[in-house]
Amino acid sequence: MSEEAKGSWIGALGRKTLRLWRIVDTVSRAKAVDTLTVELEELENIFSLLVLGAFVGLPSPPIHLTMDLMPEMPHEFERMIEKIGTAHDPLGELFSALGIG
Amino acid sequence: MKPELHFFIGKGGVGKSTTAALCALFSSLAGRRTLLVSMDPAHNQGDIFESRFGEKPRKVLPTLTVREIDADYWMTRHLKETRDQIKRTYLYESAFNLLDHFKVLQFSPGLEEYALLRAFEDVLAHAGHQDRIIFDMAPTAITLRFFSLPAISLIWLDELTKLRSLICEKKEIITKIQGPGQPVQGDRVMEKLHHLAERHTRLRDRLVSQATRIHLVLNNDRLSLVEASRIRKRLGDMDIRIEDLLVNRLPPGQSADEITRAFEPVKCATLPLATEALIGLPALRRFLETQGDIFPRLL
Repeated sequence: MSEEAKGSWIGALGRKTLRLWRIVDTVSRAKAVDTLTVELEELENIFSLLVLGAFVGLPSPPIHLTMDLMPEMPHEFERMIEKIGTAHDPLGELFSALGIG
Repeated sequence: MKPELHFFIGKGGVGKSTTAALCALFSSLAGRRTLLVSMDPAHNQGDIFESRFGEKPRKVLPTLTVREIDADYWMTRHLKETRDQIKRTYLYESAFNLLDHFKVLQFSPGLEEYALLRAFEDVLAHAGHQDRIIFDMAPTAITLRFFSLPAISLIWLDELTKLRSLICEKKEIITKIQGPGQPVQGDRVMEKLHHLAERHTRLRDRLVSQATRIHLVLNNDRLSLVEASRIRKRLGDMDIRIEDLLVNRLPPGQSADEITRAFEPVKCATLPLATEALIGLPALRRFLETQGDIFPRLL
């Protein structure tokens, strides 16, 4: 094998290794992000329930704090209302989270 | 310099409004710029000064101004501001749904004392030129809730801030994992929490400050004494100390020794039962001429 061919073979191997590394990196990052996102969502749910609990009958902070924070929490509010909707069908929610059905 | 704050508190009907009015008049006649603020929904200051007062401060003497707090106005204003903010930040459909739920909140307990707290902030913001502000407070239950609100809010804000910090940390980690160059977005809820904590810390510090004096008014009777003891304990739990006791309407021949002993070492002053109705400036002035030596000890 000539020096030139050897060089191009090593180069191709390097590029393939790099591509493989990028794929592994992307997959690992996506996995890590997924795990953390679930954890984050749970934390956000707890935070929403603490602040906006008055809407679903839970003990809540002094009502003025709820009212002061509520304008900054549109997503949390929407999610909480959605949760009320799915509360009647917990299995359905679990299957959809696991991608079954 | 910040004005001195004087709160007149006590059981309903013991004469808080009259003693607050007498103190305000005494302070004003001594040349101090004085603002008398009625926080009591019964609003007796109009009857005492035979005048009409409202949210806009009104001069009674060159150095005496009176303002009556309209709690309903502050409650409505707070609800409107929150509703407007919701309309700005929520999507049309969500805002529409939320405003439906929001209607329930206006009947929540706790809004009345918050309305008073907002009015209190407003009074402080607009009374920087006064030497003294004298507050004629609402009956005991709402007054105690008013005093405790900043501290209770801070306990909640502390816990919520800890949880929100955790959420922000996780968001930052996710952004970092997703790749360099991703902008880390600021958290508006966190900013709001910091802003609220600063605001309530300022209010709590003002209420426990040395320049804030609480005068506990009572009558020489059992019920009044029992309630006054409860008020003292509840305020003590919040690190708010009572400056002095004012035994009002003490009938001739009676002494306030029992009360003085029960509240030692808090200073105790007495005001005798007036021989005429304390209504109108001339009657108030006449009372001050005979009993004027008590007020320098209070202010």
